[in-house]
Amino acid sequence: MSRYMVNKLLWDVDRSDEALTRFKEDPAVFLDDWESLAERPFPPYPDGGHLTDTERAAVESRDYGALYAMGVNPFLLWQFARSVSVPDELGIDGLITSFREAVAPHGYPDFYT
Amino acid sequence: MAEIVGVLGVTHNPLMWASLRETVPPDLAHVAANFDRLRSHVAGLRPDVIVLVASDHFHMFMMSNMPAFLIGKAPRMRAGHPNESRGFGLETTMVLGDPGLGAHLLGGPDLAPVFDFSFSDEPWIDHSFLVPLLLLTPDLDIPVVPVFSNCNAPPIPVAARFAALGSYLAEAIATFPSAQRVLLVGSGHLAHELGGPRQFLGVSPDPGFDEKAVSWMAEGDLEGAVAGTGFGRLTEAGNESYQFLNFITCLAATGGRQATMAEGTPTRFGNLPFFSWDMT
Repeated sequence: MSRYMVNKLLWDVDRSDEALTRFKEDPAVFLDDWESLAERPFPPYPDGGHLTDTERAAVESRDYGALYAMGVNPFLLWQFARSVSVPDELGIDGLITSFREAVAPHGYPDFYT
Repeated sequence: MAEIVGVLGVTHNPLMWASLRETVPPDLAHVAANFDRLRSHVAGLRPDVIVLVASDHFHMFMMSNMPAFLIGKAPRMRAGHPNESRGFGLETTMVLGDPGLGAHLLGGPDLAPVFDFSFSDEPWIDHSFLVPLLLLTPDLDIPVVPVFSNCNAPPIPVAARFAALGSYLAEAIATFPSAQRVLLVGSGHLAHELGGPRQFLGVSPDPGFDEKAVSWMAEGDLEGAVAGTGFGRLTEAGNESYQFLNFITCLAATGGRQATMAEGTPTRFGNLPFFSWDMT
C-alpha cells in the first residue's frame, strides 16, 4: 500500500494541463511513463513513482470507490475525478451522483499518509 | 507599534466566487450582501497590511513537503494556480507582500519562541487566499503576509495550536515597530465536505456543528471552540471541516472577544462562514 504515491499520481495529473491531456488520451501510457520516471538513476528525487498492481488498476479504470476505500486524500481524489471526466465524459451533476454512489459504501476511511 | 485594527473570518469557496462573478443568483444574494458589508468595513479600517491565515490546497505544498505552519515573506507573490484557472476561472495574478512584517512574525529576539514556523521567500498562494482578497480588497492594493496552516493533509495540528497561533500573532504584531494598521483575516469553512459521500448535498453536512461553531465566535468562547474541534468531531462535520481551525486562530487573536458579526449563511454550498471582530 503506497497511499502517498497514489496521491502524488492524482496530483501530477491534475496540476498541469499537459499531464491531464496525456492522461485522458491514454491512462495506461501515461502510467507507464510516470512509473518509468522513478526508474531513472537521476534526478535523485524522481518525478514518477511506483504503484501496486491494485492501485494502478484502480487509477487506470478510475475506480473512485476503490481509491477512496484505500485512503486516498478525498480532496485530491475529487479534483482528479472532476478534471478527467468533466465536461468531456460527464456533466458535473452526473459525476457528483456517480462519485457519491462509488464512495458512500466506504464511509470515512483514514486518509493519513 | 503595529496595531490590529480588525479581525475577519470568511469563506474562500471558489465555486461560490465563480457564481458571484456575474448576475448574483438569488440564493447567494445574502452572501453577496455580506461581502459588500465587509468590503466597506475593510475600507473604513484603512489597513496598511493584511495578515491572512489560510490553508493551501495542495498547490504550493504536497505531502512531499508539508509544513504545519508557514509564513510567506516576499515583496510580491504569485496567486492562483493553473488548475484553479481551468476549474474555477481564477486567473493567476500577482499580490503584494510585506517581507518586513513577515520576517518579524517568524520570531526574533523580542518575541518568546512560541512557534517554530517554516518560511517561504517565494510563496505562491492559491484560492484559499486569493478568493478572500478578491472579495474584500478587489484592487489587490494592500500588501499581504500569508500564513499557511495545514488543514488538508492529516496529521493536522490540534485546535490548541491554532489558538496558540492566534495569541502569538496578536503579540507579535503588537511588538512590530511600525505604525501599520493590520487587518487579520482567517479563511476556512464551517461543516464542509469534498470528495466524500456528503459532498454537494445542497445543504450543510452538519447543521448542528455549524450552529455551535457560530455561537463560539458570537460568544467569544475560545475554550469551547478548542474543546469542540477535535479531529474526530471535525471529520463528523465533513472531511474538509478542518479549515474551521483557522477561525479559532482569529478568535484567539482577539483574546476571545465576542464577534460583532457571526453567521453561517445558508447556500447551495452549505452554510458559509462570516465572522468579524471589532478591535477598538
